[in-house]
Amino acid sequence: MRFAVCHRTEYHYGRAMSDGYTVAHLVPRATPRQVVESTSLDLDPSADEQTEHLDAFGNRVMRIGIHRPHDHLVVTARSVVRVEVPQSVVGGAQPTWEQTADAVREARGDLACEVGPFAALTPSTPALPEVVDLCADVMLPGRPIGETVQALSTRIFTDFAFDPEFSDVSTPLADVLRARRGVCQDFAHLMLACLRANGLAARYVSGYIETDPPPGQPKLAGTDASHAWCGVWAPGIGWFDVDPTNDQMPPRRHVTCAWGRDYTDVAPVRGVVIGPAAAQSLSVGVDVTSLP
Amino acid sequence: MQYQPDASRYDEAVAPDGSVRQGWRVLSAALASVGVGELAERQRQADRMLDAEGAGHLVHDLTGRGVASRPWRLDPVPMLIEQAEFDLLARAAAQRVRVLEAVMADLYGERTLVRTGVVPAAEVAASPSLRMSAGLQRPARWLVQHAVDMVRTADGTWRVLGDFTDSPTGLGYALLNRSITARVMAEPLRAAGTSPVGVAAAVLRRALAALAPTGRTDTRTVVLSGGSEHPSYVEHSYLAVQMGLHLAEGGDLVMRQDRLWLRALGGLEPVDVVYRRLEDAGLDPLEPRAQGVNGVPAITWAAQRGGVVLGNAFGTGVGEIAAVQQRLADVAGALVGESLLLRPYAGEPLATTPVYDAAQGLVPGRVVLRLNTVVGPDGIWVMPGGAGRVLADGDHPAAPTAERTKDVWVVGGARSGRAEAGVSASTATAQAAAVQQVDFGASVPKRAADALYWMGRAAERAEVAARAARVVGAQVEQDPYLVTLAGGGWAMGAVALLRSAQGAPQRSDAVDGAPLAEVLQRELAATRATVAHQVSSLVNEARSVREYLSTTTGRVLGRLARVVSDLVRTDAAVDDLDLILIDLAALAGLATESTVRGPAWRFLDLGRRIERGIALLGSVEAAVGQAVDPLAFQPLIEAVLAANESLVAYRRRYRSDVELHAVVDLLVRDDVNPRGLAFQLDRLREHLASLAWPEGGALVEQAVRATFADLDDVVVRGRRLSVDGLVLAARGPLLQLDAAVVARWFADPVNPMVLGGR
Repeated sequence: MRFAVCHRTEYHYGRAMSDGYTVAHLVPRATPRQVVESTSLDLDPSADEQTEHLDAFGNRVMRIGIHRPHDHLVVTARSVVRVEVPQSVVGGAQPTWEQTADAVREARGDLACEVGPFAALTPSTPALPEVVDLCADVMLPGRPIGETVQALSTRIFTDFAFDPEFSDVSTPLADVLRARRGVCQDFAHLMLACLRANGLAARYVSGYIETDPPPGQPKLAGTDASHAWCGVWAPGIGWFDVDPTNDQMPPRRHVTCAWGRDYTDVAPVRGVVIGPAAAQSLSVGVDVTSLP
Repeated sequence: MQYQPDASRYDEAVAPDGSVRQGWRVLSAALASVGVGELAERQRQADRMLDAEGAGHLVHDLTGRGVASRPWRLDPVPMLIEQAEFDLLARAAAQRVRVLEAVMADLYGERTLVRTGVVPAAEVAASPSLRMSAGLQRPARWLVQHAVDMVRTADGTWRVLGDFTDSPTGLGYALLNRSITARVMAEPLRAAGTSPVGVAAAVLRRALAALAPTGRTDTRTVVLSGGSEHPSYVEHSYLAVQMGLHLAEGGDLVMRQDRLWLRALGGLEPVDVVYRRLEDAGLDPLEPRAQGVNGVPAITWAAQRGGVVLGNAFGTGVGEIAAVQQRLADVAGALVGESLLLRPYAGEPLATTPVYDAAQGLVPGRVVLRLNTVVGPDGIWVMPGGAGRVLADGDHPAAPTAERTKDVWVVGGARSGRAEAGVSASTATAQAAAVQQVDFGASVPKRAADALYWMGRAAERAEVAARAARVVGAQVEQDPYLVTLAGGGWAMGAVALLRSAQGAPQRSDAVDGAPLAEVLQRELAATRATVAHQVSSLVNEARSVREYLSTTTGRVLGRLARVVSDLVRTDAAVDDLDLILIDLAALAGLATESTVRGPAWRFLDLGRRIERGIALLGSVEAAVGQAVDPLAFQPLIEAVLAANESLVAYRRRYRSDVELHAVVDLLVRDDVNPRGLAFQLDRLREHLASLAWPEGGALVEQAVRATFADLDDVVVRGRRLSVDGLVLAARGPLLQLDAAVVARWFADPVNPMVLGGR
C-alpha cells in the first residue's frame, strides 16, 4: 500500500517573537516494512537555521531556529511511503509472555541496548495498581505472547471509551484509568504500562492512520489526526505492532513516523518561542491519502 | 570546656580513653581561650555575616529537593579532619570522579555496562536523568565539578552517602563558610594550622576556561543561574563574584547559529563556556522531560555542535541515579578495574563531633561531610575543606536537610588539597586574577543594567519617602499645634508632601471627613510602608546583580532588609527612619566612591537621578499646590527644603525667612546643589553623552529649557501657577526619559514559552 501523508502545524503567537525554536518528529523513518519514497518539510517563515539528525532511537529529527521577528509558524511535512502489512503473530509456535519477559531481562550485548530501554517504566507509563489489576485476567500463566498482546488490546478497546474531549498530551495515566476514557496516546501509554509492568519490552509508536469519512460523505481535508500505537518485542519474532485504539493487530492502514519510550520522546512538534507574553493559538491538520 | 561524648561511639574530638585527639588539642585550647560565653557572640556575628551575604534569609537547603527549608546557620565550631585522613577521603573522592566520568562516557557511548548487564538498561532508561540527546555528540569531558557526601560511622570508618554530578552545590557554600569563620574564629583557624581553601575559585575558573572550544581566544565563561528563586542562588552569586565571572540568567543568553550569546547593552556578545548552575532538567526547555522555562532554549544544540561548552556537560545527572549509585562498586570494577576505596553507607549509627549549643556549650552531634572536587587541565583537585551538615534528631543523613552547617578544617598538614595529579603553581597567579573585581568597563548584560537602573530608582525613592516621613514626623512631634495651624493649611500641605513622597496621586478628598491629625498619621504610616516597599525592591534588584556591588554594599543591604522589617512591625518612626537614611546614604556613597565608572554604574546612577528629579518636582508641587496662609507657608516650605536635604544650605545662603523664589532657585535652578534639579540634569546629560544616545539627550535638554524658563513669562494668575507650570514642563520630559530608557535599553522581551503540537 502507498500513502501520501500531509501533517500541517500552524501556530499564531499573537505578537511578534524574536526567536523561535522547534524540534519536529514529522518525517517518517524507514522500517523493515516501510519504504519512505519522498519527504519534504515546508516552513513559513523560512528557517534561519535548520538541521536534521537521527535521535537515540534512530528517528529523523528536525531542528529549526528562526531568529527574526515572526508572529506565526507553519510547518508542513509531506511524505509518500510504501507500507507492507505484516503477517499476524497470533498462532503458531511462539514463546509465552513469561518467557518473553525472561528474554528481555536476560538480554545482553546489542540486544540489551535495542530492547532494554523499552522495558523502562517511564513517568508516562507507571506501574500503577490499576494497571496491574487491568492485566490480571489477561496475563494468564503460559499464554503465548501474541495472544496475550491481542487480548490486552481487546481489553483496553472494550473497557475504555475513545473521547477526544477528555484528555490532552499532559493528562496523567491515573486520570485516564479513573475516567475509563482517552485518546490514542493514552491507550498506547496504558498498554505500554501494562506490558512493562510485567517485564515486557514495548515501544510507543507515533504515526498516522488512514480513516474513512462518515458513510455517504466525501472525505474532508485535514480531518485525520496523528496517531499512536505500540510495538512489542518477543524472541524469535522481533518487533510487532498493535493498535489498542482500534484493537487492530497487526495494524493495517498505519504509517510509522517515529518510536520511543513514550510520547515525550517523539512528540510531533515541540517548540519554544521568546518574546512578549501573548495569547497563542495552535491548529493541526493531517491528511492521509491512499495512493495507487 | 565540658564535652562528654558517648564513649561507645567514635568521636572526632575525644578518644575512648577520654584523651583529646591530636588535631583537637590545639583547637580545644584555642576554644578555651575564646571561652564558651564568647562563642555565643561569635555565633551571632556569623549569623549577621551570613545575613549580609543574603544567605541568612535566602538559603533553602543544600540541594533544594523539596525539603522544608531551614535558615542557614553556621556553627562557629568547625569540623576537624586530620591531613592523613583527609588524604584518604580525597583519594576516595577523586576515584569516584574517575569512575563517574567513565560511567557517563559509557552510558552515553558504548554502553558496555548495559551490554554486560552490570547496569540494567530498563532501570537506566526509566530515569528522566538519562538524557537521550546527550549521547548524540559526546563532550571531551563530562564532569568539571563533583561533590560527594560522606559520614563517619560509630566504628570510626568513613562511608559514602552518594555523589552529586548534575550541578553539584557545596563548593561556594564552603568558601562562604570559610570567609566567615576566618573572621569570627580567626585565632583558632590560624592556631590549628588549617589548610587554606581560597584557591578553589581560581581552580574552578581555570578548569572552566580550559573547556573552551579550541582555537578561540579571549574566551568568556559565564555562570548560568536559575535566578534568585533558585534554592542555591546565594551560592551561584557568591561563586560568580569570587571567580569574577558574569552571573547570567536564562533570559540573558540566546542560542543562534549554533553559538551562545550574551544579551549585553552593546548587542549580542559570544559566550564560550557555561558553568551551569541549572540542573539538567531545567537547562533547555526544548528537551523532552524538561522542567520550567528558566533555562536557555536550544543551549544543548549549541553544545552538541561545539559552539559552546557546558560544565558539567548536559546529562551528567545520570551519575546520581540509584541504578548507578547502588552498583558503583561493580561499575568501578567493570570500567576502571578498581575496587572502591570507601564503601557505601548502609544505615549504621554515626560517629559524633562537637557541636556548639547555646545552652550547653559543646555537645556531640552527627555531621555529614560534603567534599568538593574540581577536574581541571592538571587533574582532579579535592578542596581541602568543605561543608558539614549538622543533622537534627531524626534526620536521615541522605536527606538534604541541615540544622546548621560547619566549616571543615583540614589540619596537621601544610600541603594543599591535591589528591592525584596536582595543581600547578600557576594557580597562585590564577588566584590573584580571580579576586579582581568584575570589570565594569566590559560588557553588561541588559538584565543587569535593567536591575541596576531600578535599584537606583528604588534607593532614591526610599530615601525620599524616608526623609519626608522623618521631617514631617519630627515637625509634628516638636509642635503638635502645627496640625491645626492656619486652619489646617500646614497639615494639608504636609499630607500633599507625604503623598508626593509616596509617589501617590494628590487627592482633593485626602482630608475629607477624618480629623486632620488622623489623616496625617495615616499618610505617615503609608509613607513608612513606601520606604519598606522600596527597600524590599532595592534588595531584590540588588540580589540579581550582586557581582556589580561591593561586599560592603552587601552588608548595608543586609542591614537595610532587617531594619525595614522592624519598620513595618513597629511605630518607632523617627529613630528607625534615621537608621534607614544613614544606610541609604552609605549605599549612595558606596555607589559614588566604590564603583567603577562603567556602563553598569551609569545605569544605576541614571535611575537615581531621574527618580530624584521627579521626586523633587513632586515635593515642590505639593508645597505650592494649594493656597496656604502665610503662617503655614513658613513651616511647610521648611519641610520641603528639609525633605530635599537643602534646609541647611538654604539658611547658610539666604539667612532670611524662607521665600518661594529663593527656594525655587536653590531646589530647581542651582547647579551646585547636589539635591537640586539642575544638578540632576547635569548628571543625566553626562550619562547620556557617554551612552551616545541623542534621543535621551534631547529629552534632558527639554527639561533644562523648562527649568530655566523665565518664571515671569508664565505668570498668569499669581506665582504659584507659574511654579506649577515649571513643574509640569520639567517633569514631562523626565517621565518620557524614563519610558525611553526602558524601551531603548531593556525592553527585550525574553519570556520563553513552550509550545506543544499534535
